[in-house]
Amino acid sequence: MAVYDTFISKDFKDLAEDEEIIGVIRDLTPGKSKYRGKYAKFVVSKDENKYPERLWIRLGRGQLIEKPCSMKILEEINIFPEGL
Amino acid sequence: MAYKYYKDNRTYIEALKRTGDLIEITDEVDWDLEMGAIVRRVCEKKAPAVFFKKIKDYPGFTAFGAPIATYRRLAVSFGLDPETSIPDISKEYLKRTMGEPIKPKILDKKDAPCKEVVITGDKVNLFDLPAPMVHDGDGGRYIGTWHFVVAKDYDTDFVNWGMYRQMVYDEKTMVGPVLAFSDMGKMFYNKYVPRNIPMPFATVINPDPLSAIASCAPSPISEAEFTGMLMGEPVELVKCETCDLYVPAHAEIIIEGVVLPNVTLEEAPFGEYTGYRTSPRDKRTVYRVTAITMRKDPIMAISNMGVPTDEGQLLRSFSLGLEMERMLKDQGIPVTGVFMLPESTHHFVVVGVKPIYANIATQIGQLVFGSKLGPWFHMVMVVDDKTDIYNKDEIIHALCTKCHPSRGIRIEEHGVGTPLNPFASPEERLYGRAPKVVFDCLFPPEWPTSMVPIKVSFDNVYPKDIQEKVLSNWKRYGFKD
Ligand SMILES: Cc1cc2nc3c(=O)[nH]c(=O)nc-3n(C[C@H](O)[C@H](O)[C@H](O)COP(=O)(O)O)c2cc1C
Repeated sequence: MAVYDTFISKDFKDLAEDEEIIGVIRDLTPGKSKYRGKYAKFVVSKDENKYPERLWIRLGRGQLIEKPCSMKILEEINIFPEGL
Repeated sequence: MAYKYYKDNRTYIEALKRTGDLIEITDEVDWDLEMGAIVRRVCEKKAPAVFFKKIKDYPGFTAFGAPIATYRRLAVSFGLDPETSIPDISKEYLKRTMGEPIKPKILDKKDAPCKEVVITGDKVNLFDLPAPMVHDGDGGRYIGTWHFVVAKDYDTDFVNWGMYRQMVYDEKTMVGPVLAFSDMGKMFYNKYVPRNIPMPFATVINPDPLSAIASCAPSPISEAEFTGMLMGEPVELVKCETCDLYVPAHAEIIIEGVVLPNVTLEEAPFGEYTGYRTSPRDKRTVYRVTAITMRKDPIMAISNMGVPTDEGQLLRSFSLGLEMERMLKDQGIPVTGVFMLPESTHHFVVVGVKPIYANIATQIGQLVFGSKLGPWFHMVMVVDDKTDIYNKDEIIHALCTKCHPSRGIRIEEHGVGTPLNPFASPEERLYGRAPKVVFDCLFPPEWPTSMVPIKVSFDNVYPKDIQEKVLSNWKRYGFKD
């Protein structure tokens, strides 16, 4: 199970579950590349066992929500123009 | 004639060691929060700078923390005695930057230490550099905390160096805020973005201390030439590998690439110079990396912004205050000194003036708030030339006794602010708006002389001969100081 986190600008209670979200997640695998960002389409559940990956949620100013969620990455998205 | 200065961080670190302003940590430290926590505590305790000799996951790298977070270190960076007073360091800055700009000198690549290691193409990987996770809860690892970004104007020869924070996103991408009113913001958003042209950039990590000071000084002079003025001789630059920009040859690490127009990525939150995490995670400017060059055994840099005192507060207060003094004097205002308090996170500035005409305090407020410096602060206190602007006791005394609670406080509602102001509403932050206030601590010159209160202090209400007698006998009476 991979572990990620993401930041949300709304309240935790308003986090959309089981709906496609597009945004940045950070890979928390220990080592030199920890915190690498990924732009992805993913779904989230507050049930930590529903989806294969673990996702920690942080609020807009970095506050960590104590209980993790689960997440499934549907697709990684490249936002950079070709050649750049 | 060259002034005394340090050409690179290595000689500066040696100087700090000699003056007792450096601690070396030989234990292995983790780039993930531990290094940040140490530097944060260094700033809060005004402790010596720190040189980390061993970083987890990054053999071969060292790191330098809190490079100029005290006035002692600021004095050393100018080649002065660490005990030099703030007014004397200020005089040195003003003296060095009074004359003509000094053009940089271009070195051959073979003579430039920052080219000892050159990495381009597929081998470029930002995760090969020990970018620290500075504070728990930050939006990412900040590789640019003590650095500057070099960029050239699209249709003139103007080159800007500015210290704009940069967060690592992936192997080849960084992201950071480039405020619209900053020099780079004006170039990028006004000229490159409308044409949809990527803007070449070079990030200079751990430059020599005077280049770093120049990069965060709000001077209208191109920073490379301003650095030459601070050094008293040309700063030595070298050409980049993948673009036509030039960077300080003696810096530790250079990251080259292009700033992408019309692509944004989430950046922040980040512990900021105000002592809070204020600006939200938001879509910000994207830097794509094409090359990394560095010295052998490169030294990473870490400045840790938070509650006072760190570089963001100390250096910016120093140069904002002095550039303000220069500007007010150029306008013919009889200013006797300007001091911006670092503890105010460069939000509060004290201006000393000869109060020779009515409403001079308002005029000073309008000039400084209306200048290029204005967005970065919102409180101006104007005192007379007899108040010691560096003495906090005297400043509080003047504020609480001479500032009329209604007539003496002048508010301008519609000023330019930044998204970083903790007091601002979310909407004000979004649009960069901030009210401004002047505290007029001058007795109005139109009051009849007999009506003006007399300050009851040792040096104001005793004849000179009595003062001299008391002072010359002071220690003999048994007092220490
Ligand atoms: C440690 C440190 C970090 C800074 N980070 C930023 C930043 O992220 N964005 C910014 O606009 N200014 C930042 N500043 C302030 C700039 O250095 C300052 O605005 C500089 O003078 C650039 O000004 P210019 O845009 O007028 O050239 C920082 C200053 C310091 C000392």
